[in-house]
Amino acid sequence: MRPPMQRIVVDAMGGDHAPEEIVKGAAEASLALDDAEIILVGDAEIIGATLPRLRHDGGRVRVHHAAHVVDMDEKPAEALAAKPDASILSAARLVAAGEGDALVSAGNTGASVLACARTWKLIPGVRRAALASVYPTELRRGDKNDPFSLILDVGATIDATADDLVTFAIMGAAYATLISSNRRPRVALLSNGTEAGKGPAEVVAAHQALLEATELNFIGNVEGLDIPRGVADVIVCNGFVGNVVLKMLEGVSETVVRLARYAHKEKLAWRIGLMALSSALAQLKAVTDWQQYGGAPLLGLEHPFIKADGRSSARAITNAIKVAAKASAGDLCGHIRTGVADVAARRAARGTP
Amino acid sequence: MTHARHVFRWDLDKTYLRTEFDSLGDLIKSAVETAADKQAYPGATALLRTLSKGDGYRVCIISGSPSQMRTVLAAKLALDGVAYDEFVLKDNVRNILRGRFRALRAQIPYKLPALLASRANAPAAPAETLFGDDAEADAIVYCLYADLLAGRVDLDTLARILQSARAYPDEVERTLTMAKRAPGGDAVRRVIIHLDRRSPPVGFHRFGPRLVPVFNYFQAALVLYADGVLDARQLLFVAFEMLDSGQYRLATLANSLQDLMRRNRLARETVLRLAEEVGDQARGGGLAARPELPPFDTIARAFTDRVRELRATPAAPWPAEPEPLDYVTLVDQEHEHRRSRRKRGVA
Repeated sequence: MRPPMQRIVVDAMGGDHAPEEIVKGAAEASLALDDAEIILVGDAEIIGATLPRLRHDGGRVRVHHAAHVVDMDEKPAEALAAKPDASILSAARLVAAGEGDALVSAGNTGASVLACARTWKLIPGVRRAALASVYPTELRRGDKNDPFSLILDVGATIDATADDLVTFAIMGAAYATLISSNRRPRVALLSNGTEAGKGPAEVVAAHQALLEATELNFIGNVEGLDIPRGVADVIVCNGFVGNVVLKMLEGVSETVVRLARYAHKEKLAWRIGLMALSSALAQLKAVTDWQQYGGAPLLGLEHPFIKADGRSSARAITNAIKVAAKASAGDLCGHIRTGVADVAARRAARGTP
Repeated sequence: MTHARHVFRWDLDKTYLRTEFDSLGDLIKSAVETAADKQAYPGATALLRTLSKGDGYRVCIISGSPSQMRTVLAAKLALDGVAYDEFVLKDNVRNILRGRFRALRAQIPYKLPALLASRANAPAAPAETLFGDDAEADAIVYCLYADLLAGRVDLDTLARILQSARAYPDEVERTLTMAKRAPGGDAVRRVIIHLDRRSPPVGFHRFGPRLVPVFNYFQAALVLYADGVLDARQLLFVAFEMLDSGQYRLATLANSLQDLMRRNRLARETVLRLAEEVGDQARGGGLAARPELPPFDTIARAFTDRVRELRATPAAPWPAEPEPLDYVTLVDQEHEHRRSRRKRGVA
């Protein structure tokens, strides 16, 4: 029996460079993926004028018209209420109606997450969805030699209970196993010390539960400085902490770049030093290129959603579509469902609430 | 002999046959392949078979493949059950023996006189539909042929175009002779270019609405259905062969249909009429439904769904009065393009 075709729904109008770069990325994906249908949701007239200018496979691209767009700076709830025909909402509805298997958007993050949360169901046993983000580290992992570790939640919700953190760990491990081809990802809780008793009550309780009720490769707690070192492949925290950590890491990276630019301008000796390091810096840039990993997955809902960065170029969109297709073909949500059910069964057997 | 009403001229490599000749290895592989090894594009066989059976239809194959491959190519067509009325190949051994190496690769100086000779030797002056691909200069050759027949290109201009195409003097002479002999008129109704390289369709806009770039043979069949050449039943034969191949699904066929609509190559009304006729086939038993293929009503629904998804958005517009083609420039550009491809190591 022929495996089902992967149908990836793409919000063509979301992102700083939409719709041009999104349509370009989708066109490239239509050639790169073996058996997939790319469903572009947005202004059919604009998409229809853009596609013929690009190399693509016309049989693998479908266009679904949506008249409105949620702009990047709009308030999510208000925008979705005012624009029921917004591309992101139409795209999420298509997936909910069974016409697509996964969703990709580079648009307004809040509106995208809200659109999915409103139209899709949570996986049974999952109380809260989590937005995961990847971060480049010193170490490589998995069959793909992946330099990225996964951090979740980075802001889908603010707080999380111990049970939520356990669920996040299961979801993150399932994602790393499937997408990074990392057979047994190292899972850690983010805390203010490596000892089991360190951190707020929910982190301590989650630590205990992860040891007792799961078969994950749980390596205990890690501290903030362990993230870029790559000590763990999946780092679990609540949305508030995750968002602060992610923004800080991004800020540090930007500052390093700014300092290098300053040094380049300021002194000839520093410029020569930077030039001597240029090939190493180019390699570092290639390794940490965010456009190659596609985007941040929203985990815990019944369908995969990959949130591409708002600045995404066509290449990043193509990669996000590839990740979405892989998540769908590999039944990521099914693996999460099984993982969560296993933990519930194990806890029931032990008499743990 | 019954006079043909409509002639369908087909190229072979990359149009009918999935042939790779991007490298020397590909060329050698193509030369030593048996008839059974050669693969036609899904749907192409069903389409060609349907056309060859059509009342008053004539199928002429004009290919740049060397004439030494006639036996294997003829065997392939026989295996596929494709009947043809004319089969012209390029005599490359003769070109080598005469030291005319430029002619080995030349497209326009070979194909244009071959097309004109075929028309000149036909007993009547039928309408024509031409099939080519985006790998070579098919779009230019076919449009030039159409414009010559229609009297939009005069013989002096033709001579300049042939010089630009690096034709040998006797090739120029022969082409001019054939151009004088071939019965004129606005005979070329349709040019279909198979996008084997997945070239952006907009690159073919300059050739006007008569030329339709297609991603697959379902799109070709849709265009011929809209032209009144095929009926819904014949169109479904093409669709079923594509579904049987395992390389296409109902969704990809429906998307192909929507793609033509977005590109203003297929009218909304035509699609709705087709969906209705497919529904009629379901009700009337005009075609036996096969359990492994989607039922007719599912096919009809998939087609109308794609129309509905576009809502009332207008298709890409066509210029009211297309610019006349400057063939000398087109040929020069094509020559440069081929040179740069050769430099990059692509045949």
